[in-house]
Amino acid sequence: MPVVAYSDACLMVWNGLDALKFIDGLSTNKIIDMKSGEARQTVFTTSKAKIIDIVTVFHMNSFIAVQGHQSKMDQLMRHVTPRILDQDVQITDVTLRNDFYVRYGLEQQEFGSIESLEGITYGHVSSFYSIMIASKGTPCDVTSNLTEFDQWRIEQIIPWHGSEITEKYHPLACGLKSLVHPAKGCYIGQEVLTRMSSRGKQGKLLVKVETSTADQRFITTLGEVNSLAITRP
Amino acid sequence: MDCGTCETAGPIQVMAPEVINVNLSISSKAQSMLNDAFGDDRSMALLVGVLSGGCSGYMYDLQIVEDTDQSCQELVIDGFRVLVPNASSHLLNGIEIDYVDRLMGGGFKINNPNAESSCGCGESFA
Repeated sequence: MPVVAYSDACLMVWNGLDALKFIDGLSTNKIIDMKSGEARQTVFTTSKAKIIDIVTVFHMNSFIAVQGHQSKMDQLMRHVTPRILDQDVQITDVTLRNDFYVRYGLEQQEFGSIESLEGITYGHVSSFYSIMIASKGTPCDVTSNLTEFDQWRIEQIIPWHGSEITEKYHPLACGLKSLVHPAKGCYIGQEVLTRMSSRGKQGKLLVKVETSTADQRFITTLGEVNSLAITRP
Repeated sequence: MDCGTCETAGPIQVMAPEVINVNLSISSKAQSMLNDAFGDDRSMALLVGVLSGGCSGYMYDLQIVEDTDQSCQELVIDGFRVLVPNASSHLLNGIEIDYVDRLMGGGFKINNPNAESSCGCGESFA
């Protein structure tokens, strides 16, 4: 399966007894019930439900590893650290110790687990792709490039950080409905997302469009034949 | 994955707000309800804290406790011992603890001049 470099990724280690509960209380997916060896994606949102960052949470037993994005890290830390208060949560940035890749084109029946193979940690977060984290210097064959990856994403209608997953949109608009848990309880942005879901008014949606006929203003990932766009249905 | 936990990866700077000497007040209705709750035993204290979470980011946490492990400011307001954790003092300065007597949504309420917004249920604020 093709592997592409994941250049904007970052990695933080979250330690402390309250780490999982803390992430759960600030993001859209249910994280609190994660067990050791599981990987799950979630989205940190503002009070207006706009995306701050999508992260992959790795439950590594003795700590929680959170893979996010370097370009969003400052904003995310400004969002979360004032809310630690008296809770037992410590965050360490270990981005520079690791390289990041995405293996895609998969058809995984089961996902949500962590696997370690030849020094690389795989987070099988979706039926279509896995996040790969390798200690610096660990060999990894990169067999694809961003253009091919984008072309694959367009055909599968998979949103990605920086293209569809940006601060302009809320998770429901950019194809991340599966990461918005419908019954997990309160988190920042929950009121807005729940209101949209319960009233059936999600506004814009992520769709695949024909590049030649689509309104260029709404295209988020441009392909030769088809593109991804976020637009009103 | 290199988690860096066995070496000296630098911790991320936590934005810890300045500790503020808290002033707060308790409405007469809330005092009456606290009198019922405490009885004659004034060795107990009302812990007024803030937890992260809720729709707006912070949630109030009211408890009657004997003591706490948290680093707190101890105030005596109208004869009641009140503990305010230093970590959330910046969010609680100037609050009024009130009691709302109604069938739905009644109970202790915090009127907080620091809150920019609060969620529909009134339990969390930003």
